[in-house]
Amino acid sequence: MSGNKRPPMQALSTRELVIDIPGRADGYPLDLTIKSGQVWGVLGPNGAGKTTLLHTLAGLRAPRAGALFLNDVPTTKLKRRALSQQLGLVFQDRQDGFPATVLETALIGRHPWLAPWQMEGADDLAMAERSLEALDVLHLKNRLVSTLSGGERQRVAIATLMTQSPHTWLLDEPTNHLDLHHQVAVMKLLTDRAAAGNAIFMCLHDLNLAARWCDHILLMYPNGETCWGPAERMLVPDALERLYNQQLATVEVDGAPFFVPKRV
Amino acid sequence: MIRPITLPLAVLAVAGLIAMVMSVGIGSVAIAPADVLLVFLGEGSNLHRTLIFELRLPRTLSAFATGGLLAVAGALMQVLLRNPLADPYVLGLSGGAAVGALLAMLAGLGGAVISGSAFAGAMLATLMVFGLAHGTGSWTPSRLLLTGVVVAAGWGAVITLMLAISPARELPGMLYWLMGDVSYARAPWPGLGVLVLVCALVVPLGRSLNVLARGPMQAAALGISVRPLEWLIYILASLLTATAVTMAGSIGFVGLVVPHMLRLVLGNDQRLILPACALAGGTLLVLADTLARVVIAPEQLPVGVITALLGVPTFLYLLYRSR
Amino acid sequence: MGKLKGVSILLGWMLLASPALASYVCATDDLGEEICLEHPAKRIAALSPGATELAWAAGAGDQVVAVVAYSDYPPAAREVASVGSHTRMDMERLLELQPDLVIGWVTGNPTEQLVSLKNMGVPVFSIEPRSFEAVSNTIERISILAGTEAEGFAEAERFRQGIADLQEAYAKADPVPVFYQVWDEPLMTVNSQHLIGEMIELCGGDNVFGQLDRLVPRISAEAVIAANPEAILAGGMGEENRHWLTRWQAFPSITATERNNLFFIPPSLVQRPTPRMLEGTQLFCEKLEVARGRRP
Repeated sequence: MSGNKRPPMQALSTRELVIDIPGRADGYPLDLTIKSGQVWGVLGPNGAGKTTLLHTLAGLRAPRAGALFLNDVPTTKLKRRALSQQLGLVFQDRQDGFPATVLETALIGRHPWLAPWQMEGADDLAMAERSLEALDVLHLKNRLVSTLSGGERQRVAIATLMTQSPHTWLLDEPTNHLDLHHQVAVMKLLTDRAAAGNAIFMCLHDLNLAARWCDHILLMYPNGETCWGPAERMLVPDALERLYNQQLATVEVDGAPFFVPKRV
Repeated sequence: MIRPITLPLAVLAVAGLIAMVMSVGIGSVAIAPADVLLVFLGEGSNLHRTLIFELRLPRTLSAFATGGLLAVAGALMQVLLRNPLADPYVLGLSGGAAVGALLAMLAGLGGAVISGSAFAGAMLATLMVFGLAHGTGSWTPSRLLLTGVVVAAGWGAVITLMLAISPARELPGMLYWLMGDVSYARAPWPGLGVLVLVCALVVPLGRSLNVLARGPMQAAALGISVRPLEWLIYILASLLTATAVTMAGSIGFVGLVVPHMLRLVLGNDQRLILPACALAGGTLLVLADTLARVVIAPEQLPVGVITALLGVPTFLYLLYRSR
Repeated sequence: MGKLKGVSILLGWMLLASPALASYVCATDDLGEEICLEHPAKRIAALSPGATELAWAAGAGDQVVAVVAYSDYPPAAREVASVGSHTRMDMERLLELQPDLVIGWVTGNPTEQLVSLKNMGVPVFSIEPRSFEAVSNTIERISILAGTEAEGFAEAERFRQGIADLQEAYAKADPVPVFYQVWDEPLMTVNSQHLIGEMIELCGGDNVFGQLDRLVPRISAEAVIAANPEAILAGGMGEENRHWLTRWQAFPSITATERNNLFFIPPSLVQRPTPRMLEGTQLFCEKLEVARGRRP
């Protein structure tokens, strides 16, 4: 598909962005730029607004203030279809309305790329199968999604995003429900995509996965305060202890910091 | 989504054709198949020509159009609400359309005004059910169904009230709004036209509907302008229902049974399901009406009785299985 | 000028050349439409039990080829082919019987079905007799269309005369407040526009619900108690619906109950607009006479 060829450098940026969480003060506006090749991890305790931020970045929720730009073009100027060719999202919750097979589910990722009357072609099918293969769920392709385990569904959802192949990938807790092996496989896949020129931006609740795989970190505090930057500057015990309101011990494994909660 | 589309549609089209041939061939007056053929070749007796061209053919085509309209309306509403229990009759759209049509009849208006008034009634019913069921939260199945059932009961009461205060002369003609009946339908063409038109409009939207069936957020993330699409479906479902109701009164459960059966066999690609619903819904109603005409002839049953007898168990089964 | 002359010659020729015109029979129905038949009807379809009785009364019983359910009078009507109920006719069977005249019922048959019969070229004579005189002239009009004027006009006149005799007999009778019970559950009566209302009036009765708007109003038992009729007449047959009247025995405050003026009238004699109404009216008047006789 021609849509897969994209300019080498792209960026999703926010200007003075305040996400809209009812009943919370504006906090600190976001001015960040998510560029090709970067892997961002969003950390924060429950209720800090990580999911709301992702939905706002994907254009599914209006911000309270500020603006979003895709390659310096305000996203409000873009058609939803054009936006979804550049920007994709893996949701944390998924609802099964009607029964659908794994392959059918992955194939809907091609939707933004097809004209209304166009049927999915052999190319699209091949893309979907490659994505399912990459997430190790190709053998399930004829199963109904409703019959899968939580981890399998999670991987199908990521495969759907991969089939959509936007430039910027937004993921809400992509390692949820995954066993250790698949957690690593998914994080490796995502960093590989970044190396190939995509931008990755994900919410994580596992501090150590972020420390291991992300090069940029955004910390979100429950009061709306935020700070962001390169991972090595963000992942310092003081900031993290304040973030989670939890004492941490730090060890080093494979050259990366590893945080363990202290016993109270 | 990746299944072949032409084969199932061809099979359904042939089934529909067979049903129509049967319906035209069967009636309370026995006409030998050879005589039916003669009539279509432009020969045959005067009586046979009248029976077939004036009575059976218009009625068969009307039944087909009505069934197709209701099945497609049901399928669309089910996608919209992501709930296989949605149906124009259950959700009170038919009731709203019937009230609209009766109001126009009471006011002494005719023809196109009745259809327009039925459409307005169906739209109002749609807005009421969706608006009330939506509230601040989302469309939960129980909330939606309860709202629909209560609103439908309200329309039923309004219909009874209108029948009670209307002049006796209008009564026999009005009664059929209560229990759908194609025996008075004389002009199948507007209904067939709307059916073909709406199918031509929604089949290109089929893939968008597939995505919408996975929830509005997911659909928006995949590049769909959710609100306009939802509105379009509301309006089309109301138009389909109103057209069906003005042709044949409120016939229940076709919109429930047909899409459900088809999804079991054909999966849930709207590009296939929607035209398949048009064909299978038409076929079902043609068969049901043939049954209604002959089962206790010369007494005539309204076809709504047959569809309700089929539909109620299906509905209960679906409800039971959905926990 | 010459052209015009040509046209008039042509018209004259057409009139002369179609002898059928001479034998046309015409009558105006209760919708105000004039129905003309080339020949008197030989195959009549009567689409209500009342129409069937009227056809027989008009002397056209032998010509009736189709009736609807509950056409039980005269007994010969039961032998005629039925085309379903009056609310939903089997159009195929009706057309198969090839009627050359259909007697429709304005408020009983679905308008759509009557209209489609007309569209197929079947003459439809729609009736809705709402008065004693209408019963007579409907019989006369049917007999004209059926070519049985001699019998029809005689029967119409017999009915007219019978009613006139009763009218004379009871013209000066003391008024009796009457409640006529059409049905029990729901409780229904008639207003003064109804033929039964006319019957009550003729017998010197005073319909306690005569002023209501609807032809066949639904009322409550309380309204009956409040109206306090002197006689209650129920359109039941006595045996299978005895409780229609016994329910009033619980309310001795009603004069009718107190004096035991609770009567049954066979509904077929009063509720169908046919010549049997004469018999029904006689019965009605006799009951009211009984009520008068029970006055203290």
